[in-house]
Amino acid sequence: MSHRDEDIQRRARELYLRASNEVDPVIAGRLRAARRTALEKPVSHAARRMLLPAGAFAMLALASLIVWQPRQSSPAAPTQVMQSAEADSDLPPDADSADPALYQDLDFYGWLASNQGSASPTR
Amino acid sequence: MEHEDAQPDKADPGPMNAGVALDSTLLEAVREVPRSMDAFLAQVERRAWRMAELNLGNREDAMDAVQDAMLRLVRHYGDKPAEEWTPLFWGILRRRIVDLQRRRKVRSIVVGWLGGGKDDDGDELPSWEPADEGPDPSARLQDAQAYQDIAQAVRRLPRRQREAFMLRVMEGLDVAETAAAMGCSDGSVKTHLSRAMHTLRDQLEAWR
Repeated sequence: MSHRDEDIQRRARELYLRASNEVDPVIAGRLRAARRTALEKPVSHAARRMLLPAGAFAMLALASLIVWQPRQSSPAAPTQVMQSAEADSDLPPDADSADPALYQDLDFYGWLASNQGSASPTR
Repeated sequence: MEHEDAQPDKADPGPMNAGVALDSTLLEAVREVPRSMDAFLAQVERRAWRMAELNLGNREDAMDAVQDAMLRLVRHYGDKPAEEWTPLFWGILRRRIVDLQRRRKVRSIVVGWLGGGKDDDGDELPSWEPADEGPDPSARLQDAQAYQDIAQAVRRLPRRQREAFMLRVMEGLDVAETAAAMGCSDGSVKTHLSRAMHTLRDQLEAWR
């Protein structure tokens, strides 16, 4: 390397180092802040890593709850229907489900019921 | 990570012409193996910013590049031995500078396509890049003109020659570290540097 090259390199380096040392205070402050930010522990990153298994567990729990509930309640359903039918026995029959002929002879069945009530003690 | 808020390296801000003695003092600080990541970043942050600013010609872009390089070094290479941080950091910063230069080029092309480069009268509008209104850093230097000269000459170099010159000569990395930071062979570093020196010899005639 020639003497001239050495001189250029030495001066270039000197100017660069001098300029770096004389960075204005605002830039120096921002660089310090950037360094602090870079060195902060990545807490959010770790928390994000914990959120994934927690979310998956919650979804699994919800899904198993949905699957399990109807199976448990299905055997009880006919009992409830029977109970409600018994409870409603004093009420007149439902018009949609009853035989239409029954409604045509309502007077007859009423007479029969009253006669059965009065006739049975005579027997 | 331990955070002890290390002080950036300081040198006696004596006159510019203090010469070789000053240079060696600064260089000792530059080559010191850091005790911690905090100390390392404190040691290089100002020079990194200055290098980015010299390459990008914009203070804010330079700040972005340095900030990102710090983050990447800590997150991805914080567990590497301290001796490896130097080439790793300068390599990351070099890539960030290249990324920003490419993005800038794309943005100016898009602005050109959208007709953003001219006003209603057909006159050129100011560049898309916000004006850098901060105090001129070189004006703070006693030998501001010399710094301007070298900065302009280095900016005019082709990218790889510029990188080789800045890392090997200005930053003082050895050939192997420069090659690692540039992602090339030792031989390529020497070739790029030799060409850079050839150009700079011509451009810096005033330094004779």
